[in-house]
Amino acid sequence: MLKVAIVGCGKIADSHAAQINRIQGVELVGVCDREELMAKQLHDRFSVKGYFSDLTELIHEAHPDVVHITTPPQSHFEIAKQCLLQGCHVYVEKPFTLDAIEAEKLIQLAEQKALKITVGHDDQFRHAARRMRSLVAGGYLGGSPLHMESYYGYEFGELGYASGLLRDEQHWVRRLPGKLLHNVISHGIARIAEFFTTATPLVISHGFVSPLLRRMGERQLVDEVRVIVSEEERVTAYFTFSSQMRPALHQFRVYGPKNGLVLDQDNETLIKLRGGRYPSYMEQFVPPLNFARQYAGNFLENLRLFLACDFHPKAGMKFLIESFYQSIVKSGPVPIPYREILLTSRIMDTIFEQIDRRALDGSEELDSMPSFTKSPH
Amino acid sequence: MKGTILPEKMIICPEDLILVTGAAGFIGSKLVEILLERGFRNLRCFARPSSNSAKLKSIVQRCGGAARVEIITGNLLSREDCIAAAKDVTLVYHLAAGRGQKMYADAYMNSVVTTRNLIEGCLHHHSLRRFVSISSFSVYSNTGKPGGRLLDESCPVEQHPELRGDAYAFAKVKQDELVAHYRKKFGVPAVIVRPGYVYGPGNEGITGRVGIGTFGIFLHLGGSNRIPLTFVDNCAEAIVLAGLKQGVDGEIFNVVDDDLPSSREFLRLYKRHVRRFPSVYLPHMLSYLLCYLWEKYSQWSEGQLPPVYSRKEWHTAWKPTRYTNEKLKSLLGWMPRVSSREGLCRFFESCKQKGRHA
Ligand SMILES: NC(=O)c1ccc[n+]([C@@H]2O[C@H](COP(=O)([O-])OP(=O)(O)OC[C@H]3O[C@@H](n4cnc5c(N)ncnc54)[C@H](OP(=O)(O)O)[C@@H]3O)[C@@H](O)[C@H]2O)c1
Repeated sequence: MLKVAIVGCGKIADSHAAQINRIQGVELVGVCDREELMAKQLHDRFSVKGYFSDLTELIHEAHPDVVHITTPPQSHFEIAKQCLLQGCHVYVEKPFTLDAIEAEKLIQLAEQKALKITVGHDDQFRHAARRMRSLVAGGYLGGSPLHMESYYGYEFGELGYASGLLRDEQHWVRRLPGKLLHNVISHGIARIAEFFTTATPLVISHGFVSPLLRRMGERQLVDEVRVIVSEEERVTAYFTFSSQMRPALHQFRVYGPKNGLVLDQDNETLIKLRGGRYPSYMEQFVPPLNFARQYAGNFLENLRLFLACDFHPKAGMKFLIESFYQSIVKSGPVPIPYREILLTSRIMDTIFEQIDRRALDGSEELDSMPSFTKSPH
Repeated sequence: MKGTILPEKMIICPEDLILVTGAAGFIGSKLVEILLERGFRNLRCFARPSSNSAKLKSIVQRCGGAARVEIITGNLLSREDCIAAAKDVTLVYHLAAGRGQKMYADAYMNSVVTTRNLIEGCLHHHSLRRFVSISSFSVYSNTGKPGGRLLDESCPVEQHPELRGDAYAFAKVKQDELVAHYRKKFGVPAVIVRPGYVYGPGNEGITGRVGIGTFGIFLHLGGSNRIPLTFVDNCAEAIVLAGLKQGVDGEIFNVVDDDLPSSREFLRLYKRHVRRFPSVYLPHMLSYLLCYLWEKYSQWSEGQLPPVYSRKEWHTAWKPTRYTNEKLKSLLGWMPRVSSREGLCRFFESCKQKGRHA
């Protein structure tokens, strides 16, 4: 029986507890939050053995093999470090750490201690994303990816978190190095990082506060970002983060020398883009039919998964957690390679630096600021 | 009409400091207005930095007169803010809560952790004479009632709110438990007020007790049920009285208006006065069956559908029930300020206005 604990009993902890409880051979032995009442409420709603308000107590009394860290990002590094030092494997919610330096230190420590660590990029393990990964691995693109486009849309709801964030100058999200972006974009960046091989791609980013937010008096929260990432003028990617664009897409497009793929996370669909052409008028008639067939296939697949009771909103999280536990139990490879976690952190750091520099310079010139991600330490 | 309490029957006098949390909210701002109208001259209104305090400020400007009204900003999640807010306070109207939040953590944090911090803040200073905590009808299980269909203050509270699938109800049950704990253990002079559905300008939705909108069709679930409405002015008046009246520490008060409309009447009037939309009536047997099936499927599928409909939920929201405000009238001398007829007219007018501006 693998013993698991959760540290940080806020919103996302509910999803962790629910998914952990669905996995065979796993026991949730403790939940911990500095605010004891929060730990207690999670304990009361899920079948958990104990609740704690102190991390050391949790580790010494509940003896978890794995700790899930679901606290705000500012505390990820310290908590993860302490858990690793105490011999626990660690699952850290996204964003992994505040910057790449912290990320490197954690991964090094995990390796030194022969423990495993992963990050909660669970969107990459949803059904359609997994189908995409196996098509790419099976050579559908006709070679390694040449170009990618990752769209990550964001909607400021009328209520709750977003309006609190907009009106509250002291909100914790504002204190992150990348502010709003830091808390949101890692899913979209990680998709790109998965297919890059270099540790130091060139990054050119352009970010600004949207006219909508500016009208509301906001000057700090960058909510529109466009990024180009390039590896030795061989592999390139565009990343778009937008709070204004509708639909608020969560899409990933990847193109190889022969074919391409479009993953739509919101619709849970994967569409193949055939590189070859049909003769004459056939090009205008066959592909639309082919797309219709593919969409119907996606619909049927989603329906099948739903009927098979495997279409939960957090199906990706369950798969990632399960794969991570398997990697621990069977001493296999981790579901997210460390290279990918580090590259995601480095690309994010570079984006934030460039956007910050632009804000300080007041510079409007996009071409003046490309920079390579910092080399690994 | 408004409830009157003779000054000698009040636990505080007009100069004593009153703290109102959630003061920028829907009910809180009305409560401040009533307190000022009643001549209380020393108010501390607590709002978050992110709160939209425009309405509260305009009330203070309009009704404040010579009163000392302090609007302080902070977060009840901070113990320091709570200690500062509770300084010298004799009466607390605690309305702040995590309303409209679907996530358990948010609802719980902003209702239970905040309440604990605030009570402890008050205990820090020793000036408190009453703590009025606002609960809700959603805490009642509405099963196993001694009076059959009548829901009153003696009815049982949900024992397993975690199974209801309703984060708000869970938090409210836990908030009440916490207040009871502090009352018992530390002698906090607490009163709990449980309003039904509070309606009026500022809260223009149709309560789920009438029905739910799905895929363009409104499922009418209430049928001939009375809807436990209370107009915002009436509700705020009841809360004010619960804070002032001598000898009611430890009591619980349900708040509903007189002459409650049935769900069917409400829907008919809404369609006539605000806007037309297609609706289908689902008889109670059928809605119960659907809730049952949803609950079972949700359990069997390990949450592929969230457990938002269940038999427990049906009992609180759609089971035919009668309501009473007898205790409110007899112990607090409460009388509705606004009749249901007038309240509905004002509500529909504001819904129409809001629709126009949307
Ligand atoms: N409306 C109803 O039908 C109804 C029915 C039964 C009971 N109640 C109860 O009545 C009370 C008032 O409800 P309402 O309808 O007036 O709701 P509301 O308009 O949402 O007001 C609640 C207020 O609480 C504030 N608040 C939330 N978390 C806080 C925190 N951590 N620190 C400080 N303030 C915080 C909110 O601030 P922001 O403005 O910054 O969000 C808001 O102003 C609540 O306790 C509610 O549960 C309401």
